[in-house]
Amino acid sequence: MVQIDRRLFSHFDFLLLALSLLLPILGLIVLYSAGHDAGYAKTFTWPPITIHSQAFLRQAVFIFLGLGCLLAGVVISPSFISRMSYWIYAFCLLLLICVELYGMVAKGSQRWLSMGGFHIQPAEPMKLALVFVLAKCLSRNPPSRGGYRLREAALPLLLIIMPVALIVAQPDLGTSVAVLAIGLSMVLFMGIRLKTLLMLCLPVLIGVYPAWHLLHPYQKKRIQVLLNPEIEPLGSGYQIQQSKIAVGSGKLLGKGFMRGTQSQLEFLPEHTTDFVFSVLAEEWGFMGSILVLVLYLVLLYRMAVLVLRSKDLFAALTIVGVASLIFAHTIINVGMVVGLLPVVGLPLPLFSYGGSSVVSCMFAIGVVLGFDMRRLLFIGKG
Amino acid sequence: MPVYEKTNLNLALRVNVALGVVFFCFFIIGLRLWYLQIVKGDYFREKSESNRIRIVYVRPPRGLIYDRDGVVLAKNRPAFNIELVPEDCPDPKQIIKRVAQITGQPAEKLMAQVREHRKRHAFEAKIVLKDVSRDVVAKIAARRYELPGIIITVTPARDYVYGDLAAHVLGYIREITNEQLQRREYARYRMRDLVGQYGIERVWEKFLQGSRGAQAVIVNATGSTIGEAWFEPDKPGRNITLTLDVDVQRAADEALKDQAGAIVAMDPNSGEILALSSSPRFDPNSFTKELSAAEWAALQGGKEKRMHNRAVQGTYPPGSVFKIIMAVAGLSEGVISKNEIVNCPGYLNVGNRLFRCHKKEGHGAVNLFLALVQSCDVYFYTLGNRLGVDRIHDYAVRFGLGTPSGLELLQDNVTGLIPSTAWKKARFSDPENQKWYPGETPSVAIGQGAVTVTPMEITKAVSALINGGFLMKPYLVRKIESSDGTLIDDDFQPQIMGKVGVAPEVLSLVREALVGVVNDPRGTGKRAKLSPDLDVTVAGKTGTAQVIGAVHGITSKEFKDHAWFVGYAPAEKPEIVVTALVENGGHGGAVAAPLVKKVMEAFFYKRLKVESISTNGSN
Repeated sequence: MVQIDRRLFSHFDFLLLALSLLLPILGLIVLYSAGHDAGYAKTFTWPPITIHSQAFLRQAVFIFLGLGCLLAGVVISPSFISRMSYWIYAFCLLLLICVELYGMVAKGSQRWLSMGGFHIQPAEPMKLALVFVLAKCLSRNPPSRGGYRLREAALPLLLIIMPVALIVAQPDLGTSVAVLAIGLSMVLFMGIRLKTLLMLCLPVLIGVYPAWHLLHPYQKKRIQVLLNPEIEPLGSGYQIQQSKIAVGSGKLLGKGFMRGTQSQLEFLPEHTTDFVFSVLAEEWGFMGSILVLVLYLVLLYRMAVLVLRSKDLFAALTIVGVASLIFAHTIINVGMVVGLLPVVGLPLPLFSYGGSSVVSCMFAIGVVLGFDMRRLLFIGKG
Repeated sequence: MPVYEKTNLNLALRVNVALGVVFFCFFIIGLRLWYLQIVKGDYFREKSESNRIRIVYVRPPRGLIYDRDGVVLAKNRPAFNIELVPEDCPDPKQIIKRVAQITGQPAEKLMAQVREHRKRHAFEAKIVLKDVSRDVVAKIAARRYELPGIIITVTPARDYVYGDLAAHVLGYIREITNEQLQRREYARYRMRDLVGQYGIERVWEKFLQGSRGAQAVIVNATGSTIGEAWFEPDKPGRNITLTLDVDVQRAADEALKDQAGAIVAMDPNSGEILALSSSPRFDPNSFTKELSAAEWAALQGGKEKRMHNRAVQGTYPPGSVFKIIMAVAGLSEGVISKNEIVNCPGYLNVGNRLFRCHKKEGHGAVNLFLALVQSCDVYFYTLGNRLGVDRIHDYAVRFGLGTPSGLELLQDNVTGLIPSTAWKKARFSDPENQKWYPGETPSVAIGQGAVTVTPMEITKAVSALINGGFLMKPYLVRKIESSDGTLIDDDFQPQIMGKVGVAPEVLSLVREALVGVVNDPRGTGKRAKLSPDLDVTVAGKTGTAQVIGAVHGITSKEFKDHAWFVGYAPAEKPEIVVTALVENGGHGGAVAAPLVKKVMEAFFYKRLKVESISTNGSN
């Protein structure tokens, strides 16, 4: 299960590690401001400072936990992951079913599973489990020339659809879109025939109308509101409008740290979690938000380099999967904040306040680092 | 096994295409940011500075609660809070000290209140004192200029007009807890909302709450309100009319005084609860004020268990009240006839155990009527032995004992316990203990041993005895209507939960004996007789239930017997059943019967008054 060797670290990619630490640290700075609460004070003896943001402190703890998970991801042997991938997937699927049956309800949907005092959101590990299982499945059955045919793509698509359906039922539109995006980008990466793709799109297009009726009223409303935010100035329309004001009012250089009126005066809802990017854009302006976006871009680019230098398909696909996980979340989240995509409720990876997201992202990056580090080892895998 | 199959997969091409997609998406986002922040930057900056709209929710007034005749039991009143805006206050400590002087409250208490952490944004006030009197408001308002940063706010508060009257039925409201906010049933609630936490307030929360309105207010750069943009009105909660009769309820509450116990009064024909009293009570008004941890603990726990609704949650051995069920079972099963004579020498030997009658020298020769009237234990020991525990269990359950009463008042339905051989087998693991011994049955036959019931269950059982054998579902709500009276739901019909399945002759034989309990010179329940001017005959049964410790000769207060009386009237055509229980009260006939009498007199005197008014009116 664990396979580690001092020599392996000579191939360790410190650039990727640095990037995946830099982003959460920048996130912490923004979170201090976003979670600032004049009524909260925690004084430390060393260093002698007083913190006025609970979100900041808790996120700092989450990042430490995440660092531990990152290291755990590094030491786990790839062959172990490969061997266990179906089991991990099955286990996560089971957890999702448990949520459906016994889940805890927060904000009107069942997403959490309570276990001995801990609340876990099984959809988070499911994202990674899907990456692993698809990497295994796709690397075992590479497409024939010209891409996957329908028959070949059936199993991977089934693996994608099952968790997506369960997460839609929770209902958690954002996460299900993310899981779908991760799965599809992995399949598309391997290549699929145009004909097959069209055949798959057809039922989706036909299904749009009945699916619209199956959506929860709040989901329908969010899509309607996206098209015309003015129809609901109280709810999602208000969120989008306030977020756009926050982002736009940042202008080139921003209003400055802790000076963002939109978040400080609480016009902006969810400003520590899903809308943390608005706070960044408001307080640090175009320069700050572009800098963070560039960091994400470099992170993804670095992963692409890792894919190219990997020596086996399972590892390459796993890295592609993790990259698409980060990519999908980033684009959906920022797209929503700037008013290009519907408000679906997805965190900005490595940045938003929240334990599940930070921990699972850092673990995923740890796995990528571990795979890359062992690229020159020839051990029987898969 | 070849692990690397780069040959027929052009990885570089794939990665480049993927990177192309990634760059394209980021480019679009970057473009959008350029548009929002650079192109429209001035527009949004201006918008964020000048046009600040914040949404403030408007709490709807909570629905009122009435008694059956429309007397208001719970209404709303304005409550005045003294609050502090720290940003406007140069020296909060000094100001709080001055407020403490003016109000006569200890300064430390107010400081602690203000220091208590609560997430707030700049210029949001902190509560210093909740729900102060108008006097205090006037004093503070007069010295407004000496008290910078102190403001007076008005919030709606619940007013339980008669204080602790029917406290256990009405319940109370209090700020929503964090734990409640997590639950789906409270999905629409927000922090600091007031929600029903107990009793009717909790069970009918959905109807009483109403839905909140919203007001978009324009605030200036520091966050204080300077105007209103638009307004969405709130919808007030629904008003609820209960089945309780405030006069009967008051009589019940007053009869119990401070004794621990419970009284239930019900219409046996419909299941409408006329009074439901549990003592000691609490004052639901006390929850509108800030409760200290000690006050809260005193309400919740303690020996008194004030929050415990003894009428539906309290399980007690029924003692001789249980003999009603025994008599029905014995006659129905044919193990005893109406006229069979049993000799009571004051004790009965079962196996090698001696069971004593409560009358040491014995009742002599008794038939069913005399056995019930005098509450002879030996007669019922004999009857119990003939029936066996499982047949006793069967009849008790038919009368609704040991099963949920159906009253919708509490979240968890407590029931009494009726032992049986199956129960014992499931209850104990050790095979010796799993067996039912014949020597255990006599205790069960007189409502002792493992038998427990709630006052509500007894009320329901006796109602079934006198209404022809129907188990009526007890209920508390008669009517729900919208605040303007346009929408009315008064479709609360009596519901039959089941039938006891006993021959009517058996029921009437037992009823005859119950009339004797109160009216026969030998009866144990004579003190339940109503004042002669009412001309109403009461029937009923006393019960004096031993508390386990008393058997071992302990005589302190907490091991004194529980006193029971369940009665109904008029005996010929019952309109009301009343059960009274006094914990460790002593003898049922001496302690509980007078309480039932008081409640019934309140009921019948009121009716007399109503009748005389209506007859005078028609003449």
